[in-house]
Amino acid sequence: MADVTLPSLGESVTEGIITQWFKKVGDAVARDEPLFEVSTDKVDSEMPSPAAGVLTQILAEEGDTVQTGARVAVIDESGVAVASSDAPTAEAQGAVTTTTSPAASAPREDVAANAGATGVVVSPVVRRILSDGGVEASTVTGTGPGGAITRRDAERAVAQGPTEEVTVALSNGRRRMGQHMSVSVLSAPHGFVAVEVDASVMDRVDELGRVSADGYAITDESVITVAAVRALAEFEFLNATFNQDQLTLHRTISVGFTRHVDDDGMLVPVVHAAAGLTLRALARRMAELDERLASRQLNADDLMGGTFTVASATSAHTLWTEPIIIQPEVAVLSIGAVRMVPVVVVREGVATLEVGRRVILGLSFDHRVCDTAAAAQYLERVGELLAGLDVASER
Amino acid sequence: MTVANEVQKFDVVIIGGGPGGYAAALYGAAAGLNIALIERDKVGGTCLHRGCVPAKEFLETAHVRRTLEHSGAFGITTTGVKVDFAVSQARKNEIVDRLYKGVSGLLKGRKVTIFDGTGRLDANQVVTVVDGADAGVIAEGTNVIIAAGSVPRTLPGFDVDGKYVLTSDEFLDLEKLPATAAVIGGGAIGCEFASMLADMGTKVTILEGLPSILAGCDSEVATVVQRAFKKRGIEIQTGVKITGHTPGKKGTAINMEGAEDVAVDMVVVSVGRSPRTQGLLGDGTGVEINERGFVVADGYMRTANPHVFAVGDVVAGTPQLAHVAFAEAVVTIKTIIGEPVVPVDYDRVPWAIYSNPEVAFCGLTEAGAKERGYEVVVKKDPFGGNSRAQIIGDTDGVVKIIAEKRADGSAGQILGVHMAGPWVTEQLGAGYYAVNWEATAEEAAALIQPHPSLSETFGETLLALAGRGIHVG
Repeated sequence: MADVTLPSLGESVTEGIITQWFKKVGDAVARDEPLFEVSTDKVDSEMPSPAAGVLTQILAEEGDTVQTGARVAVIDESGVAVASSDAPTAEAQGAVTTTTSPAASAPREDVAANAGATGVVVSPVVRRILSDGGVEASTVTGTGPGGAITRRDAERAVAQGPTEEVTVALSNGRRRMGQHMSVSVLSAPHGFVAVEVDASVMDRVDELGRVSADGYAITDESVITVAAVRALAEFEFLNATFNQDQLTLHRTISVGFTRHVDDDGMLVPVVHAAAGLTLRALARRMAELDERLASRQLNADDLMGGTFTVASATSAHTLWTEPIIIQPEVAVLSIGAVRMVPVVVVREGVATLEVGRRVILGLSFDHRVCDTAAAAQYLERVGELLAGLDVASER
Repeated sequence: MTVANEVQKFDVVIIGGGPGGYAAALYGAAAGLNIALIERDKVGGTCLHRGCVPAKEFLETAHVRRTLEHSGAFGITTTGVKVDFAVSQARKNEIVDRLYKGVSGLLKGRKVTIFDGTGRLDANQVVTVVDGADAGVIAEGTNVIIAAGSVPRTLPGFDVDGKYVLTSDEFLDLEKLPATAAVIGGGAIGCEFASMLADMGTKVTILEGLPSILAGCDSEVATVVQRAFKKRGIEIQTGVKITGHTPGKKGTAINMEGAEDVAVDMVVVSVGRSPRTQGLLGDGTGVEINERGFVVADGYMRTANPHVFAVGDVVAGTPQLAHVAFAEAVVTIKTIIGEPVVPVDYDRVPWAIYSNPEVAFCGLTEAGAKERGYEVVVKKDPFGGNSRAQIIGDTDGVVKIIAEKRADGSAGQILGVHMAGPWVTEQLGAGYYAVNWEATAEEAAALIQPHPSLSETFGETLLALAGRGIHVG
């Protein structure tokens, strides 16, 4: 038997709410397979199973608030995957103390029904019939042993026509992203403004090379973020959080970056205490976070504590995005693609066209805290700081 | 080192080291489970020591003798062919011993703990070794697998004495074959013994209570075997009612209702096998045993106690075949470790009878298909026209395929493949796939068999079934 406890969720986090169990009592679970989801005021996290085996007890129900370190479930490391539909998945009260073992009394009919094979064996013939008929195997109910799809099942399914709709369960990451975005849109009245600014600084960045002095990549995103962070010092109401009608201004600037995870939604890793960072230091901190993201080593602290967010261009020709505010922050900067564009230059009263580099910056803001004029001023200021950035000494 | 009376804990405790038990042990150990195997005799079980394997060695001896008898047709003269059955017996023992050492070595290599003795299951998955070298050992498993196997059934009035009355257990230890013998029971085991004895020169009578021998086989296949047996001088009496036997000075006379006695040197009783469940279960195991003593289990091999499984001959309502036990062992271990698994489809397991001629089949018989409400299309092709069969000089046999009839009268899905003839036990594979992959006649007929080969007869039958044959109409 292995106890499942609520692990540390990061500094200063002592408790979390169990928001979802991905397994029920009797289910087999592999080591590191997502077992439950825990929510704190900053982040929702999936907790991996600490052991392989069968989930025999759930001690904290969905909705329960649990202290870190408390037992929330028990895994039988050598048990059978006995599913039991009528056994309680948790004892409602005293979540952390109950010790019932509902698996033992599972009726055999349920055992057989629930242990059904999911897509284990499809004979070549059945596979071909379904493929010819345009029917997806996942939509066919099998009547063979263990729920296997027989030839008759396949033919019956094909007779009903090809699969036109497939119901797909959302990945946990997408579901989390969706929940967060829904809450944000429903709770915060979003305003948006976009400003085109001079990006000729990128010519200097290109000339000097896209690698920092200590070997980290310098990106359009990191260059613009340096300017965005410095501008926040003059627009402190944008480096803030808004919670229950209360606006909290933060003296420390912790900036998050939107990162899209393949088919699994979006994460926003945070560079904490970013105010004093040079371009070189910021580039290193961002690279470190990206490395942890790629190796799935991000911890809750990396995803928490943001006070402002930067959403960078999602393609080479993106003009701007209208990002949704990461709650409980009050603003998010959108960076378009840095583009070569025709620029009207006026010299001695004569207007001429030249090729220049421009980028469109946008700001989604919480209209309870900020207004369009202030937001546009902020973006103009970012543009000025960007134009004046001393790349040579900062890189 | 084992300490008596101290409870030793394992992931899985297996009672019985036959094919079901040792396969579960090996497959489970390969999955990382800590396993104990309790065996009262030698690992390998009935199949290796008192069943399939030794019987097939004797049948091969008979085959060699038959080949020598017919060598003249190839221009090879053999004179003075003599049979020393003790040599064959010794060869059989050598083969069995080699295989036994192989299985033992595999179990040791995978660190399976083996206890010598008979296991008794008590409540809470605790198994006690009640006799043997490890008597007193108590092994507790998170899960337990019952693989206790079976023993030959006997008939009332036929006490097994090893002299006049034998079961397969005693028969397979014979050093010398009798001049005359009666085989009671014309099922798979009985027909193998009868065939072997006849090929070795014994005068054999098969006594069968049912209207036909090989009752589980398709009737046309059974007829092929019956005809071949009669041609070789095996007397077959079906529908008999045996009442007992009267031992004499030399041999014994079998008494039957409404029929003359059959006097023979020896009686081989092969009327099926009973589960070895006497004394297997203590109190409170939660395991259900049916009225015939078999353990009741579901498709995932779970007994009524979800932490106790059963595999092999001991399971109620399943074919008593070593390869079925292997398959059940795999299902059990996958269920225990929570991997998705498809239960064994007992209607579609392969069957093999190693008599001369051999029989092999898979799926429904023609009668069985009709019983289940199928309209069928049937094609068959005898081995007589097969070139390879003529080359090896063994043309007795037939391939019969049963398919579901479509609305337009053509043959649809293949329901059963039945074969009798030379090496059909090795030929069944293609038919097994066709049935289990639910191929139609034309799907299977589109595939090619090598020429010249015995398997062409199967291919020809498929072509004919699909509407038009090359050699077969």
